[in-house]
Amino acid sequence: MKPKKIGVYICHCGGNISDYVDVEKVRQSVEGEDVVFIAKTTMFACSDANQRDMVEDIKQNELDGVIVASCSPKLHLLTFRNVSVRADLNKYTYVHANIREQASWAHSDNKAAATEKAIHLVKAAIAKSRYAQALETNKIKTTKAVAVVGAGVAGMKAAITLAQKDTHVFLIEKMPAVGGHVAEWGSLFSTNETGSEMVNRLYNEVKQYDNISVMTNSEVIENKGSVGNIMLKVRTKTENDNEGHIAEINVGSVLMATGFDHYTPEEGEFGYHSSDKIITLPEFKRMVDTQNGKLVHNGKEVKNIAYIYCVGSRQTEGENTYCSRNCCTSTIHAAVTAKNKFAGIHNFHFTRGLRTYGKQEIIYAESLRQGDIYLQSYEEDPATVIAENNKVIVKINDILTSGKELEVEADLVVLVTGMVPRTDSNMGPLFKIPKGRDKFFTEVHMKLRPVETVIDGITIAGTCQGPKNIAESVNSALSAATKSYTILNKGELETDPLVATIDPEKCTWCGACEEACPFDAIIKTDKNGKTIAEINNTVCKGCGMCAPVCDPDAVNLIACSSKEIMSMIDALV
Amino acid sequence: MSDTQESMINNTNSGSPLGVRGTKTAKILVFSTEKISDPAIDMAGLLKLHYPPTVYTISVPCSSGIKPSWILYAYEKGFDGVFIAADGSDCVYGESCTEKTGHLMAKTHNMMKEKEIDPARLRMAAICSVCSESFVKQMRNFNEYLLKTRETIPNP
Amino acid sequence: MNKEIIIQEDVTQNVPLQGDLGGKTPIKNITYDALVVGAGIAGGETALNLANTGYKVLLVDKELSVGGKMIMLSKVFPTLDCAACITTPKVSEISRHPNITIFTGSEVSNIKKINDNEFTAKVTKHPRYVHIEDCTACQLCEKACPVNVRDQYQFGLIGRKAAFIPFSICSPKAAAIDIDNCTLCGACEKACPTNCIDFTMETEEMNLHVKTVVLATGFKLFDPENMPRYGYGKFKNILTAQQMERELAPTRPYNTILRPGDGKVPDKIAYVLCVGSRDASVGNPLCSQICCMYSIKQAQLLMGALPMADVTIYYINIRSFGKGFEEFYQQAKGMGVNFVKGKIGKISEKENGNLILRYEDINEGRLQEAEHDMVILSTGVLPNTGIEKFFDNQTLALDPFNFVGQSDALISPAKTSIDGVFVAGTAIGPMDIPDTILSAGAASSEAISYLLAPPTSPKGRL
Repeated sequence: MKPKKIGVYICHCGGNISDYVDVEKVRQSVEGEDVVFIAKTTMFACSDANQRDMVEDIKQNELDGVIVASCSPKLHLLTFRNVSVRADLNKYTYVHANIREQASWAHSDNKAAATEKAIHLVKAAIAKSRYAQALETNKIKTTKAVAVVGAGVAGMKAAITLAQKDTHVFLIEKMPAVGGHVAEWGSLFSTNETGSEMVNRLYNEVKQYDNISVMTNSEVIENKGSVGNIMLKVRTKTENDNEGHIAEINVGSVLMATGFDHYTPEEGEFGYHSSDKIITLPEFKRMVDTQNGKLVHNGKEVKNIAYIYCVGSRQTEGENTYCSRNCCTSTIHAAVTAKNKFAGIHNFHFTRGLRTYGKQEIIYAESLRQGDIYLQSYEEDPATVIAENNKVIVKINDILTSGKELEVEADLVVLVTGMVPRTDSNMGPLFKIPKGRDKFFTEVHMKLRPVETVIDGITIAGTCQGPKNIAESVNSALSAATKSYTILNKGELETDPLVATIDPEKCTWCGACEEACPFDAIIKTDKNGKTIAEINNTVCKGCGMCAPVCDPDAVNLIACSSKEIMSMIDALV
Repeated sequence: MSDTQESMINNTNSGSPLGVRGTKTAKILVFSTEKISDPAIDMAGLLKLHYPPTVYTISVPCSSGIKPSWILYAYEKGFDGVFIAADGSDCVYGESCTEKTGHLMAKTHNMMKEKEIDPARLRMAAICSVCSESFVKQMRNFNEYLLKTRETIPNP
Repeated sequence: MNKEIIIQEDVTQNVPLQGDLGGKTPIKNITYDALVVGAGIAGGETALNLANTGYKVLLVDKELSVGGKMIMLSKVFPTLDCAACITTPKVSEISRHPNITIFTGSEVSNIKKINDNEFTAKVTKHPRYVHIEDCTACQLCEKACPVNVRDQYQFGLIGRKAAFIPFSICSPKAAAIDIDNCTLCGACEKACPTNCIDFTMETEEMNLHVKTVVLATGFKLFDPENMPRYGYGKFKNILTAQQMERELAPTRPYNTILRPGDGKVPDKIAYVLCVGSRDASVGNPLCSQICCMYSIKQAQLLMGALPMADVTIYYINIRSFGKGFEEFYQQAKGMGVNFVKGKIGKISEKENGNLILRYEDINEGRLQEAEHDMVILSTGVLPNTGIEKFFDNQTLALDPFNFVGQSDALISPAKTSIDGVFVAGTAIGPMDIPDTILSAGAASSEAISYLLAPPTSPKGRL
């Protein structure tokens, strides 16, 4: 066999790599390797111009494969596999080296060592590339159905848009009714509709599609299979029967829209529970929505209302360091509504800097016009609440009046509580969806793949990903639905042919691999009078669990075989 | 960006840079998994959480697919330590992963004893997709241990 | 539904759009499933979503390159990924997608709704005077061209030639002739090794038939010359944040940070936020939603590039509301970026080019002055006006701030007043990149539903 011809491209990443890794040195260190036919550096490997150069190089020099040393393969493995395909190479001849996340960035404190590591990583990629072979992808038929978990606004909107696209939807809601938190709300900012009217409008739309199966009182309890063919068990409880009945459904993709919880203040946090005059924002909104004439709390008319912002958000100590995004506008809207609805209301806002971003600025301007008072403190010096003798006083060192200590005696203190991740949901663990630092579900990439998770076929929408207002939730729901639909709409999906293989010479059939396989992909078979194991390629997921248990070492994963791993070790050491 | 900014951005980083000229670091081979621990290791880079630069990663689909022979080969070739960044309970291929990975660890430890290799040169910890800080801590500790116990580590 | 489309190249049978052609080439008819107006990240993402679902898309942009404003950025908050790393692969995917046709340097007008799922429009393709497919971007024409003008793609920081490649990562990567400034000396034509320069190119008009339209027309930035008290345009060491993006970008013009007045490396830099935002006196009461974050990002990058420099951000409120934003703001504070709560009243210039900022220090409660050697104005987001004039027989409603109006802002944020016309990205209002991508996803979803189920179909669309 004639030796392979490999092209190696080392990316500057516009400085992200080349500021720390001497990319030219990396290039020189690998260009002498026997299989390396060309070695180049490039400002942006992923740019159109360089992709075109690569195609040109491959065709002109009849390369057998290429390696790009750049960012994490999570971002651009597919990009460069596609480049190979455009140059008529099989996409599995492509090998990626991650010298950004795992070299230039991880070791930005030590340029020489980062360069040294990058050289070894590229050499390991070259070692792997020697063995990389052309492979045919497996095609699997997909189920054109999506499970939407959570029937709040995001979930219902996703269900509707998928149903419009001839996709069957199982809309699974844990609670007895749809609508999530929005159903609790009265008037909403920027529309004349109430939360419950909006939920009803959406639900009426949902009901018009016979390809949406609404499952309330229901929870997913089992998740099997993978993208394209996911088998779920859903338990539906009934009033008399807590065990409920269990339905099995088959879907191709799961769209998570499980929403958020309101933050619950700790005992004593801003006086919470030390006086019945201290309530949370959701409680206040309900009061404003349900009462008429006078605003009354515990039998007493309310005139002076103090709003304390960022309760449970932007915490300098504690878990929730993030901004909850929606509460400033939500609070001002409630305050303005209260003032318009009830006579004699005085609103005092104790903020940490208002965040009525974009067009929401208008409601802030309106509340200022109506005479609402805004006071502000910094993170480290928040307002304090003193509840004594049936009086509640809020104090603040107000930076808007050059740090003067001001106090307000309030008839009602509203703690502006933010959004926190659902605590009572086990969907995260069940579907293996990773969480970010904020404990919300996290996307693959905020800008490139904002509604996809690292688990293929599982998309996320709405506030389960982080605080959002209604329009933002709907945008993400529609985006997630688009992704789920794109996965399924062709009716078939290509899967990696990176499965296990059996060496029939070595195999003596002991059954250990069959026992290790979690997917029943190993079959006992007779070949030429010898009993051996055989892999069912369409069922095999390529996890490799069967490989280490084989005593005669007859099992190897394609692209992850002993010879590849050992030659990579040779290159790395 | 310059180094000065690095050290300022990197709030969680403490102490002097690792592996600067004159200080030595152990060669550690990490077997990590494509879906679960790779993202954590990548994120450690993104967050500029520094760890010894002689830590090298080979990605595999699942930690329960690592052959003991690979680990032994790494020692034979000169790695000071091998670290399995295991999927733990997060494994996308099923719950049996933890038990299976544990089993092959035990098997490898026995083989190491037979070859008179210090079993502590093989470590394992579950590294989930957001465990960047934990990964870095593991690498720093493992490096320290290996430097203390391995006299053969040369100055770079 | 029939996804097959016929691109009518046979021009002889076509009826011209308007009256007498005066002997010119007859107008070409072209047919696609969807028209996407604007090839920034919103339009690009929408086009990709539609194309990946099997629809044929025409993507039109008036600029010479796709990629919109984002492709010109340095790095993006809050991850500090380089903008090019995110845009270039998308741009590459768009430009190569078999279902996407791109017209740069082109404009759309006379959009008419004939019926549900039936729109016509006029597309005007301005001559580039370069045959893109033959150009190798060798830059020899640039070297040969004797004309120097300010480079709009570097926001006037440096000059360019009249024969020029718009910028290093533009797509299509091909030269163009700036005919307004060209002296027709012919030097570029002589220098071009592939003979791709062609001064006989003419404006091309086409009749377009599509089933749906997505508006992704983006935004424009406030021009600070409209606030004379800040002295932008008069004082040399005041830049806009957009110009600073270019100084910080990997493909940057000076390859370092310097103040344009005298080329000195600045060491006391001020950011002035809310320039042209939250300010009814200049006609924009809205918060621009992105300026706080891009300024914090630039401050972090500046501290990296110039470790000895002081960076001060003058703000009214810091709006770090998105995922990871608050943490990014705290990180900037930790790095030593100085945040001063105060609105800048006036900027004046000293003889040495330094600038005096007069401001109300809200913490101290009094007027203060501070000297900086470079000032960056974080200018706000304004609507691109005139979008409604694209439409002939239907009214595209605008919101009170002249952004494209939403007919059901909370529940169908991508729907406009015209059924079948959708809107994505900052054409709706100020938006950051992640929100823009989600907005594009929403517009794509609505457009696909519209393409799949015309209201007349038995299934019915709601």
